This record gives sequence, structure tokens and C-alpha cells, in this order.
Amino acid sequence: MLVATLALLALPAGAAFATQPTNQIDDGDQPGAGLSVLETLGIFVGIPALLYIVIVLLVNAGSSSRGPRYRPGAGWWAAPVWFNGPDDADRAVRDAEGSTSQGGGASARW
Amino acid sequence: MPAGDAFTERQQDDVVRAIRLARKQSDLPVSVYVGALDGDTRAMALQLHRALGDAADGTVLVAVDPGARRLEIVTGNEIRRRLDDRAAGLAAMTMTSAFQGGDLSGGIANGVLALAEFAHAPRSLHTGAP
Repeated sequence: MLVATLALLALPAGAAFATQPTNQIDDGDQPGAGLSVLETLGIFVGIPALLYIVIVLLVNAGSSSRGPRYRPGAGWWAAPVWFNGPDDADRAVRDAEGSTSQGGGASARW
Repeated sequence: MPAGDAFTERQQDDVVRAIRLARKQSDLPVSVYVGALDGDTRAMALQLHRALGDAADGTVLVAVDPGARRLEIVTGNEIRRRLDDRAAGLAAMTMTSAFQGGDLSGGIANGVLALAEFAHAPRSLHTGAP
């Protein structure tokens, strides 16, 4: 991409330099010093590239601060979490083995 | 998802806040389990509910298995009078639709709040008498 951009930049610039008469100046023209190659590259390549990087960083900053995202179907390897559960969950579950609640509720899958 | 914590700190706060709100607004104790439910998911969820001990009858257990994509809501005998199975089913739908979109903690938090909303206030005796 960079090579293509450079080529596109160089093409019209070269053509313009080649065809423009050197000492033909219109009324009111006050031409300053021309841009050097480095300045041209800086303005037309460097600044856009910098902007590109900044925008990419801004876009990714949001999702990386939110942490890994759950993807249905991609599996799940995190350790179990129990909010508001028994103090000693492992033991409580082991003790409850075999006996089940009679409660109601709902089942769903996605 | 790589091995490690299931939730970031902020996601955990969301769930904890929803549980606290359910307790405060509707006096509904909710317990949320996120992890594998091996074998028969319903039986496993009922066993987890039993593991809540003395509080089980008055507690709603929301058990989520993100790997197997299963959700079980278990209502204790006592709480079942306030929160019927139809309401639990509606809350389950709230959750699964968020899970499908990849929002695990948000789905749990919204589901817990939905449960709290559906749960009627506990019938208090003798307060209606003049």
C-alpha cells in the first residue's frame, strides 16, 4: 500500500515539475520555497499514517479494556464462579450429592 | 475464550449489583453460578441449589453453563409461590437472548433484575387490617 501511495504521489509531482515553465509567474503570485521530498512525504504520507494508527488504537482501546468477550460456541474454560453461593462451595456441593431440590424454575438453551 | 477469570472486575460488579438490587427491591435472594454443569444439567442445577443449604428454599439459583450453552433457573419451594415457572421462563429468555449476542454478564444482570421484577412482594399477613 505504501509503495502504491508513493508512486501515486510521485507521478503528478514529477509531471508538474516537468511541464511547468520555470519563470512564468502570474500577477499576484508569491511562490514560496517548494516542498522538499521529506516535507512532501511527511505531509501526505506521515500525517495520514499517524492518523490511521491513532484511530486504530482508539477503536481497539475500548474492546481491550472490556476484557475478552464471550463467544457462543467457542467453548468455555474459565473457572466456575458462584455469586452469593455457599461459603465452602466444593464441600456444599459434595454434601448435596444425591439429594436434589424439589423446586421449579425454567430451563433454556441458546 | 482463554482460561482464566470468567469476568472482568467491572462485569463482576454488574452482576453483584443486580443481585443486591433484587434483594433490596423485591426481597428476592438470587444466587448465580457460572460454570460447567456436567451430565444432566437440570439434575446438576438442582444439586447446586440443594447445596445452598438452609437458604435453598427461599433462594433462586441461576445456573449458566456458557460452554454447553445451557441455562437453568431453580426456584426454591418457598420462592416458587412468588415466582412461578412462567415468570422464570420469561427471565430465562431475557438472558439467553443476551447470551446469543455474546453478552454474558449483561445477560445475567438483566435476567436477575427481570426475576426481581416478576417476583411479587412477599405476602405480609395482617397489614391490611385496620
